[in-house]
Amino acid sequence: MELIQQIRDKARKLLEEGAVEGIIGYEQASDGLTSRPLFAYDPSATERLIFDETCAHNLVKYLLDKKGKKMAVVVKPCDSRAINLLLNEGQIERDKVFIIGVGCPGMVETNWNHKSETLQAKCRSCQLSKPLVYDFLAGREIERQAEEETYSDITEAEAGSVATRREFWLEQFGRCIRCYACRQVCPGCYCPVCFAERLEPLWVGIRIAPEENEMWQTIRSFHLAGRCIGCNECERVCPVDIPLSLLNRKLEKDVKGLFAFQAGLDPEEPPPFATFKKEEKLEFGE
Amino acid sequence: MNLFVSEDALIRWLDALLQERIVIAPVRVQGQTMFQPISKADSCQLSAVSNTTLSPKGWFLPPTETLFSVQRDDGQVELVPALVEQDAVLFGLHPCDAKGIALMDKPFLQEPGDALYRERRSRTALVGLACLQVQPECFCTSMGSAPDDPSNVDILLTEVEDGYIVQVVTEKGKSLLPQGLAEYKGKVPTPPKLPAVPTKEVISAMRELFNDPYWEQLADRCLHCNICAYVCPTCYCFDMRDYADKGKVERVRSWESCQSPGFSLTAGGYDPRTTKGERLRQRFYHKLLYFPEQFQDVACVGCGRCVRACPVNIDIREVISDLQQVTEAKSGS
Amino acid sequence: MGLESPFIPYLANLKTATRLTPDIKLLSVELEDPDIRASFDYKPGQFALLSTFGEGEAPFGIVSLPLQKDGLEFAVRRIGTVTRALHELEPGDILGVRGPFGNYFPLEDYMGKSIIIIGGGIGMAPLRPVINRILERRDDYEELVIINGARTPQDLVFQPEFSTWMEAPRTRLELTVDRGDEHWKGRVALVPDVVKELAPSPDNAVAIICGPPIMIRFTLTGLRNLGFKDNQIVTTLEAKMKCGLGKCARCNIGEKYVCQDGPVFTLEQISQFLEQP
Repeated sequence: MELIQQIRDKARKLLEEGAVEGIIGYEQASDGLTSRPLFAYDPSATERLIFDETCAHNLVKYLLDKKGKKMAVVVKPCDSRAINLLLNEGQIERDKVFIIGVGCPGMVETNWNHKSETLQAKCRSCQLSKPLVYDFLAGREIERQAEEETYSDITEAEAGSVATRREFWLEQFGRCIRCYACRQVCPGCYCPVCFAERLEPLWVGIRIAPEENEMWQTIRSFHLAGRCIGCNECERVCPVDIPLSLLNRKLEKDVKGLFAFQAGLDPEEPPPFATFKKEEKLEFGE
Repeated sequence: MNLFVSEDALIRWLDALLQERIVIAPVRVQGQTMFQPISKADSCQLSAVSNTTLSPKGWFLPPTETLFSVQRDDGQVELVPALVEQDAVLFGLHPCDAKGIALMDKPFLQEPGDALYRERRSRTALVGLACLQVQPECFCTSMGSAPDDPSNVDILLTEVEDGYIVQVVTEKGKSLLPQGLAEYKGKVPTPPKLPAVPTKEVISAMRELFNDPYWEQLADRCLHCNICAYVCPTCYCFDMRDYADKGKVERVRSWESCQSPGFSLTAGGYDPRTTKGERLRQRFYHKLLYFPEQFQDVACVGCGRCVRACPVNIDIREVISDLQQVTEAKSGS
Repeated sequence: MGLESPFIPYLANLKTATRLTPDIKLLSVELEDPDIRASFDYKPGQFALLSTFGEGEAPFGIVSLPLQKDGLEFAVRRIGTVTRALHELEPGDILGVRGPFGNYFPLEDYMGKSIIIIGGGIGMAPLRPVINRILERRDDYEELVIINGARTPQDLVFQPEFSTWMEAPRTRLELTVDRGDEHWKGRVALVPDVVKELAPSPDNAVAIICGPPIMIRFTLTGLRNLGFKDNQIVTTLEAKMKCGLGKCARCNIGEKYVCQDGPVFTLEQISQFLEQP
């Protein structure tokens, strides 16, 4: 409760002083059990702010809707990597964001009206005790008992034959309904006109069918290669439970192996595919 | 007169139906339940408790379908319409979803009628399943339906011990039944009660609420994905486009939603809806004002799928309650 | 033989394509089936959806008059995929036509009135059949003022018809461009300024306008300042129309379907829309 009170007090003060125009945080959802994003513009609304193990949403994406306005945002360690990514890519200005950081015990798997005891997979391997960047830390750092990310599930899947893997993915993509929630929630997806909406050249088209869906998902994950910060929001919001984290972590593993780079850790270092260095020579294995 | 079908008899019935028709029923798929064509009777997972992730509207308005293909031959062009080849039965849909189909009939069958939709509709029988329990997100009784509403199906099944009560609603339903079903003389379970949502009051106030700042505030957290529209039994906006592939041309229609950026963007570059609030508002107004004004029925069936699926918890029941409060505040009552 | 579906276009042949401006062509199209050709009746203001098979379909106002010997005519501005494909058609090529859709200009209601036609660029297209219908029944109408504006002289639409329009009785054709060239000896002014200059009287008059949104906005102000009431000003709305049948809901502006309730609306009607275009 003390953590929550600190968030509320800080948020209220920021609004009362006019230091920010609005606060982006969490409040209770309509099921009385889980949470949802809250936009507070009035000091009295800050009383609704909460923070608990259901607050998985990455609120950093919303900063892109509020460009030009000074906003405060509640940020977990994984979310802070999104801040670094967007700072590096010139999408947000550091002095327009007041970051209320929180140490995070890990988020549990939730659905509407359902809160489990199981930690989300991404949290099980998270070693960040506090956000990488913040203006105010509410509560304390939280030491994480994290398993190391070995990508063992990826390696295992990669060992399968092409035919097996293709069958698996076409079945997964067969369920995709192209709601684009994965894109809309992702802090790394902010193109004014997404490639999937383009007619010329036609990359994907409007047909909602396994092959088109596969094009959609694979191109999107490639656009995120070296940029995905691992918040796993895409997988969480998918209404048909497509294991998108497998795709994104596969590319994360490859980028780590090739470039010793992980996105969002350093606001100064640009992603590998946005950088060209003449002296770089890449040895591609196999 | 109600009839009774035992569990075993139901399986045999489904087997018999599978001989002559496509049977679309709820099926477990990777932890979720979806309406899909089945090949074996026991794939059918009837549940009087929960609902499927996506509504069964996808049988009548598929996520993607070819409207016609273009055949070129020697300078001659022929347009070949898509055909509906088989009879079907949609088995095990809840009354809310059946109402959803009845609502979709209004725009699609209105002249000039959508021929593909009409054909599929007339060749598909609906076997409904009443709800014995409701989920926290259900509110069908506030949207003109009920857990045991038989109005929009050909047969309504109600689960009882060892089988199902069979209520025959239409002649088409009667012709679908297996022979030799006994009369059911037992008790018919009482349908569960649902909390009320002030739909009627809010709909009559919708015009005055159009320019309320509520919409921009609500839209702050909206992601503008298409989840709500796609899981919804009554959302039906679509896009049409030509596909030219290896000499074959098809005109294809796919689901689309007013939430997508670019939905209302005209060729000249002008877009009447540019803000998040304007786009979010459109969906609520289509459902709660424009559709009722045009077709005298609310375009929501209270199935709660959008409530379950929205990643940021935009809850239509909450929206309606909020709007009631806004109206009351405005009128000073 | 498959299902009769309103989504399936009639086949038509391109008869002629006349270049009107650098990016606008006048396409004359003949429906293949003689029965359909005979029964395809429409009024000025209505539109059709033209298909080039492979690229898609797009809405165009029908700019000819019914039973015109030249077939169905459309003024197509090259702006995207479908319009580019339409521009590339050769006479004899096959295209698809669906229609006619929408409502129309209630020209019978305007009989006995003066008509002020104000068009900008491709906006002249839906106005052309209105002008020609009025000229066909010239004595049924009072003064006819046509204000036709464009960016540059070569962008003025329907130049081949200017002399017919100018020579008609009790008719004025006022051309204007935003930017002249070395040959242009006419007026260089924005359309709203021309309206102000000519100051047409609102007495017993109807103003029909169509053009880019910014032109419409300023012209409306000018007309209102001259005393035109909102029910005396008529326009035709552009919207993203896909099915033309009131089903796909793309063209919804509030509760109105532009493809069914429009595209022709008076300003009074538009001002009462819940959602403003």
